Amino acid sequence: MLLRLLLATGMSVAAHEIGTTRATVQFPEVGTYALEIETDAAPLLEKLAARTGRTGELASYDAAFRGKVALTFDGVEMRPGIAYELSADGGAKVRLTGAHPAGAKTFTFQFGWIFTTYPLQAGGQTVWLEGGQVSAPLAVGVPPPASRWRVAWRYLALGFTHIVPYGLDHVLFVLGIYLLSNKARSVLLQVTAFTVAHSITLGLSMYGVLRVPASVVEPLIAVSIAYVAIENLFLSELKPWRVGLVFGFGLLHGMGFAGVLTELGLPRGEFVTALLAFNLGVESGQLAVIGAAFLLVGWHYADRTWYRSRVVIPASLLIACTAIYWTVERVAG
Amino acid sequence: MIRMAGVLAVVPLALAGHDMWIEPATFRPVTGQAVAVKLRVGQELLGDPIPRDARMIREFVVVDAAGRQTVTGREGRDPAGYVLGGASVIGYWSHPTAVEMEADKFTAYLKEEGLEAVVAARERRQESGKKARERFSRCAKSLVAGAGDRVLGFPLELLAERNPHKLGGAALPMRLTYENRPLAGALVVAFNRQRPAEKVTARTDKNGRAVLSIKGDGMWLVKAVHMVPAGEEWASFWASLTFDLGPK
Repeated sequence: MLLRLLLATGMSVAAHEIGTTRATVQFPEVGTYALEIETDAAPLLEKLAARTGRTGELASYDAAFRGKVALTFDGVEMRPGIAYELSADGGAKVRLTGAHPAGAKTFTFQFGWIFTTYPLQAGGQTVWLEGGQVSAPLAVGVPPPASRWRVAWRYLALGFTHIVPYGLDHVLFVLGIYLLSNKARSVLLQVTAFTVAHSITLGLSMYGVLRVPASVVEPLIAVSIAYVAIENLFLSELKPWRVGLVFGFGLLHGMGFAGVLTELGLPRGEFVTALLAFNLGVESGQLAVIGAAFLLVGWHYADRTWYRSRVVIPASLLIACTAIYWTVERVAG
Repeated sequence: MIRMAGVLAVVPLALAGHDMWIEPATFRPVTGQAVAVKLRVGQELLGDPIPRDARMIREFVVVDAAGRQTVTGREGRDPAGYVLGGASVIGYWSHPTAVEMEADKFTAYLKEEGLEAVVAARERRQESGKKARERFSRCAKSLVAGAGDRVLGFPLELLAERNPHKLGGAALPMRLTYENRPLAGALVVAFNRQRPAEKVTARTDKNGRAVLSIKGDGMWLVKAVHMVPAGEEWASFWASLTFDLGPK
């Protein structure tokens, strides 16, 4: 593998004692680095044991290990987070990760735990280094320009899948909204109110302006679903207060989305892109639910006399029961 | 005259050259058993694997009762080869590797390896302050299953003149040859895997002989380095011999 790499990079072949170690640097997002060293576990462990005078697991030598590894950005030495991992085939993977100074142009790397020659791959280039040798300053990679679109696409998908199939509670809420009336104006007004509202709280929460604990938000979301479904049993046309309530409930759901998005994490460099894309994904998920409901029952049966008694009432009852059950569960949980 | 030296505790310099040795998976194989032959580069017998690299191998041979054969193995893999268990001498002679070193680093490294003659020669050539370019070759041997040593014909060759496994407490006479002629004044160093800091050292006499008082079980590495001018560059040869003195 290494030999093939060597040939590919056109290095003079009779030159070096190449071992079984390789290092790869990546710059996954603007301002961050991830450097992975792959090597044989046994020789590394032996050397660490000899250095420290004791035996132990790879991670237990962290302090000693750091003593012969140096990573600098624009001359500033980093103190990376280091994760150690052993593989079944006797290999060791050591991952150095962290944030580098903003706008850093170059970095250097030194790995002093081996005696052999090893390749350091950074972006498209491969540099051959001796064990212990400090590399020449190398260019800090910039994430490829396509990365904004990749981030957007990824968070769009995350937003969508957070509704379909993973967000049954939001699906039921949107169905509740849809079932109230078969008039397009009813659906349009409610969905708009809901969307505007949850966009506001999602944004405010992600920027840290708004902070409401999930233990409060989640039960209230369940209550909002129950309310909408129960109101469907007594109401068959859009009243102004309903739009207001849906807006209020939208504020709650937005905080719920924010909880999920916080868990997923937002890339620092593409915060706004990811936030907008996630929100757009959520909208698409909602529209998909409404579209599916319309195609399945609305289109053909909404104007039938039995539509309300056989579709709206039973479905709303089912939604209400489920939501009441969730409310109890979330309050108790 | 044979100059003998005692046991020295040498603090290893980080800038010293790296040893290269052969490390069989076992020094005491069952006859006929396949024995992995590992190539290692490092210091104090703490080494890193060198996978088999056809472009680096000048000779990779095993000499046993059946004669001299090439050590076979899979390209790019560690261990670099396999031999059949039995009393044998394994040898690895590499093509040269080129390295470049800053002047002061090079001088310190020469002194560390006992190559004061080269330091003096660099002074005579008025190149002590210049960056040095060196091409080093490996001449490693290993004794398996209690075998006595044999001449393999490497450019720099360490030869145990008595079977190290049958010393019975006596010192080990070594002979160092460069291009088949005795090499005088070279530093020969031996150390044990368990106590790598305790170096047993001796300079070779005019017949290339150095006697090493090696005591203790386990794996031993005997090494010597020789360096000659090669035009503007320096060509060095790293001889090593590994064996294991039990317990049986």
